[in-house]
Amino acid sequence: MKLVKWLLLMSTAVLLAGVTFIYTGIYPMGADVPHNRMTYWLLETLRERSIARAAADIQTPDLNDAELLLSGGPDYNDMCAQCHLKPGRTQSDMSIGLYPSPPNLTLPEDEQANSARRQFWIIKHGIKASGMPAWGPTHDDQRIWAMVAFIQKLPSLTPEQYQILTTRASGESNHH
Amino acid sequence: MKTFLLNSALILSSVLMVAPSFAHDPAEHAKTAEAPDCDAMKKMDHSKMDMNDPVMQAMMKKCSPAHAEHKEGDQHQGMDHGDMKAMDDKKASSSASHEGHGAH
Repeated sequence: MKLVKWLLLMSTAVLLAGVTFIYTGIYPMGADVPHNRMTYWLLETLRERSIARAAADIQTPDLNDAELLLSGGPDYNDMCAQCHLKPGRTQSDMSIGLYPSPPNLTLPEDEQANSARRQFWIIKHGIKASGMPAWGPTHDDQRIWAMVAFIQKLPSLTPEQYQILTTRASGESNHH
Repeated sequence: MKTFLLNSALILSSVLMVAPSFAHDPAEHAKTAEAPDCDAMKKMDHSKMDMNDPVMQAMMKKCSPAHAEHKEGDQHQGMDHGDMKAMDDKKASSSASHEGHGAH
């Protein structure tokens, strides 16, 4: 009985300390001050587990299609390159200023982080409090898969190839 | 008056519902878009090019209108396809955008 009382007291004290901590506003919320290791681990684990669960049942279509690259390339350049960079560019104002830092998609990543279904889910739904918007409300699945197809090829592209694939020249649609 | 208000509300809500679909219309970007630098393709190492690679196919498609324009001027200043790896004839022949390369 004494143990239960003690546990109840400790739980109340921890809860009160947490509420006090939140309401004092002493936690640095600026993007230029990194989280401590514990907070970073908590948020990163929460994010990755949530995405892995949500994306588990997504069926990946065949992405080795030139037409998908031609559609996804210009969209990537317009919507993603400022944060996620492009071949020949190692940083931008956005990649430096955002926290957590947006991944550099021109670099080859590990297989899990680079999985097409994960990228599709992130592009479609975005990530809370990270600067990553949800493109799903304004872009259909086909267009998002085209971006994924382009991102899958991005680490292997030269700056010259990138330039050709990402231009959205006027009258282009007449040629395809 | 009641009908007018109802109609106005319906029209306004319809406009607001349709608006997001135009949020990222590619045609808007095409007005200020730069042209693809297809001359850069000439400088690439053609011996390493694989015509079965979707990246290469996409580049050829993107640059084929430009090639078609230059075709009459100088047919042999474009890419040297002689060194390229085996081309997937089925895919190439089915793609109308490759027609401009037939003369090379």
